[in-house]
Amino acid sequence: MKQTVQMQEIQEKMKPGIITRDGFLGTDRRNLVDILMEDDAAVKRMDLTHERIAARMTELRDAGKRGLGNVIKVPPHFEVRVDSVRGKLPSPFGGPGVFPKTNITVRNLRLGREITYTDLHIHLVGKHGFYEGKGSNFRLDPGDLVLTLEIEK
Amino acid sequence: MNGQVAFYAIFFAAIFTNNILLTNYLGMCSFLAVSREVSTSAGLGTAVVFVMTATSVLNWLAYRYILVPLDLVYIRYIVFIVIIAAFVQLVEMVIERVSDKLYAALGIFLPLITVNCAILGVSLFMVIRNYTFVNSLFYGLGSGIGWALAIMAMAGIRQKMVRSRVPKGLAGAGITLIIAGIMALAFMGFSGMIKIT
Amino acid sequence: MGAAAQLLIGIGAICGVSTFLAVLMVIADATIANYGDVTVTINDEKQVTVAGGKPLLGSLMEEKIFIPSACGGRGSCGLCKVKVTSDVGDYLPTELPWISDEEKAENIRLSCQLKLKKDISIRIPEELFNVREYVTEVASLVDLTYDIKQVTLKLVEPDTISYRPGQYIQFQVPEYELTPESVYRAYSMSSQPSRGNEIELEVRLVPNGICTTYVFEHLREGDKVIVNGPYGEFFLRETDRDIVFIAGGSGMAPIKSILYTMAERENPRKARYFFGARAVRDLFLLDEMKDLETRLPGFTFIPALSDPQPEDNWKGETGLITEVLSKHVKSGDNLEAYLCGSPGMIDATVKVLLDTGIPEELIYYDKFA
Repeated sequence: MKQTVQMQEIQEKMKPGIITRDGFLGTDRRNLVDILMEDDAAVKRMDLTHERIAARMTELRDAGKRGLGNVIKVPPHFEVRVDSVRGKLPSPFGGPGVFPKTNITVRNLRLGREITYTDLHIHLVGKHGFYEGKGSNFRLDPGDLVLTLEIEK
Repeated sequence: MNGQVAFYAIFFAAIFTNNILLTNYLGMCSFLAVSREVSTSAGLGTAVVFVMTATSVLNWLAYRYILVPLDLVYIRYIVFIVIIAAFVQLVEMVIERVSDKLYAALGIFLPLITVNCAILGVSLFMVIRNYTFVNSLFYGLGSGIGWALAIMAMAGIRQKMVRSRVPKGLAGAGITLIIAGIMALAFMGFSGMIKIT
Repeated sequence: MGAAAQLLIGIGAICGVSTFLAVLMVIADATIANYGDVTVTINDEKQVTVAGGKPLLGSLMEEKIFIPSACGGRGSCGLCKVKVTSDVGDYLPTELPWISDEEKAENIRLSCQLKLKKDISIRIPEELFNVREYVTEVASLVDLTYDIKQVTLKLVEPDTISYRPGQYIQFQVPEYELTPESVYRAYSMSSQPSRGNEIELEVRLVPNGICTTYVFEHLREGDKVIVNGPYGEFFLRETDRDIVFIAGGSGMAPIKSILYTMAERENPRKARYFFGARAVRDLFLLDEMKDLETRLPGFTFIPALSDPQPEDNWKGETGLITEVLSKHVKSGDNLEAYLCGSPGMIDATVKVLLDTGIPEELIYYDKFA
C-alpha cells in the first residue's frame, strides 16, 4: 500500500548497508507500512500490546546483565546471556537516542526454544511496533517472542 | 450550466454535498496513505486547502485571459497541470526560506500534493460549470476544506479502529476503501440539499 | 482560422506558458532559494565563508573543521552539538529531542540540522581545531584472536599526527558493494604517539556490522583508508597516584597506548591492568604485556578468565572481573582508575571501585563504548 514520504525515508534507512550490514527488512518485499500493520494485527489478536512485549524483553535483559557476558540462570526456567560490543546504533525511525550494541540471547529451558534480540530491537518493538521484515536474520516474529519469553497479558 | 449560483451556496456545497473526495472520489491516494493519524492529516489538509484555493484562482485567470481569447480551451489540461506544479514548487521554496519550522512540519507533504488529482479536478470542474471568479475562489476554498475534513474524519475513524480485529485480508487499503465508501454513502444523504450545477 | 494556424497558436501558447513558469522558477531559485555566502565566526577568532543554504556541520567539514558526528549528519546521534552565539531562530523539531534544558539556556544547537541562512557566530572546543582528515594506507593486518584484528595504518597525507595516548579516530568505510554511502566508526588508537607516522587500531568483529565486515572481509594491505581525528577525553592524568586499568577485548587499545607511553617516559607509578576475558582464546598480546612488565617495574598485568575451557589448563585468575577486582583492590587510597569496555562492565566495576573508597571523580572511562 502507498506510504508517506516519511515512511519511505525510514524504509530507506532499513535497507542493507545503511545502519547495519544486512538491514532490517530481510527478504520482505512489502512496504514498511504493510509490515507494521500485519505485525500490529498479530499482536492485537493475542490481546497484547507492543509495550508489554518490550517490557518483558527489557526485564529479561536486565536480569541477564548481571552475568557480565556469561550465561546466567533467570527463574523460573530461563538462561540469558547479555554481551555488548562497542559503538551505538541510531534507530531507523529517527528521533532521539542511539542504542548500544547489546546482544541478548534468551533460552527457554522448558520449551527448548531460543531467541536473540538487541537493545535496538527493544526500542523498535516498544516504540514503533516493528519486528523486522520476514526473512531477516534478526526477525522477531511476535508469536515466537510471546511463546518463548512467556509473555502474559 | 448555471454560472450564477451564489458563492456561499457553492462554498457549502463543496464542503458537504459535493465533497470532492467523498462525492467525486478524487484525491484518494494521499487520502489512503496519510489518513492514519489525525495530526498528520490536519497538516496535509491545511496544505491542500491552501494549494487548492490558490491554484483554482490562478487557473481561472489563465483560462479566462489566455486560453479563451486564443481559442485554446482544449489544452487546458496541460496548462493547468504545469501551473499547479510550478505553484507548489514556489510555495515550497518560500516556506523553506521563511520558516524552517513550518517547512519541517508541512514541507514533506508538498510533493505529495502536486499529484493529487483533486487539485486538477477542482480546476476542471470550475471550467465545466462556468463559474465566475468569485465562485471559483470559493469553490476551491470549499473543496479544500471538504477534502481536509474528509481526511481528518477518516483518520479519526482509523485511530478508533486500532483496537478492532480486522480480518487479515482486509487490513490496510481494503478496510480503508470500505470505510470511504460508507462515508460516501452517508454524505450522499446531503445531496439535493443545495444545487450548484 | 485555419487548422494549421490553430495548431501553431496552441503550441505557442503552451510553450509560452511553460517558458514563463520556467523563468519564474529560475528567478525564484536564484532569489528565494539562494542564500548567498555566509560567514561563520568561530570562537571569536577564526572566520570562514561558506555557501549558504546547507547545514552547518557539512559546511564546516568542507572547510576541514570536523565537528564529531557518528551518523553522518542525519540527526540520529546527537554528537554534533555546537554553541551558537548569534541569532538563528527557533529550535527545529528534529533538534529538540537531543537538547536538554541546560543546553537550551546555553543556546546549544545540533549543527547537522541548522541550515546556514545568514552570518553566524559559534563556539567550539579548541581541541577540535587539531582534528584533521588523514589519508592513510594499510600497512598490515594481523589477527590477534579469532575475532580481533590489529590494523596498522601508515599516514600518507598529512604524514604525521599528534594525539594523546587514549584518544580515538573515526574510520571511514567508503561506499562499496555493501554500503551505498560512506559510514564512520570510532576506534581507539592502540599505538603510542611516538610512532609518529603510523597508527594502530584493534578492531573486533561485530555480527552484521558495516565497518567490521569491511575490515575483516574486504580490506587488504596497501588499500587507502581515510580517517579523521584525534578525538576523545580519555587519557592518563599527570598525578602520582597508583593506577588501576580495567579493559577487556578491543578495549585494550587505549590502555596499550597509555602503557607504552608510560614505558617510554619511565613513569614510576604503580599500575595494575585487569584484563577480563572468557577463555584462553580471547587473550592476546601476552608477550607484549610481559615485556611491559619488565620495562615498567611498577606494572602488573592480571588477566582473569570467567569461563576457562578444560583444555586451556588455566592457572591464572578465574571468575568475573568484578570478583577478581575485589580480591586485589582492597583500598581506594591514592588510587585512580581507567576503564574501557561495555556499559554493563563499566557499571559493575565502578560499583566495586566505589566500595573501596575511591572518589567518583577519580574514575575515568572511555565513554563511547
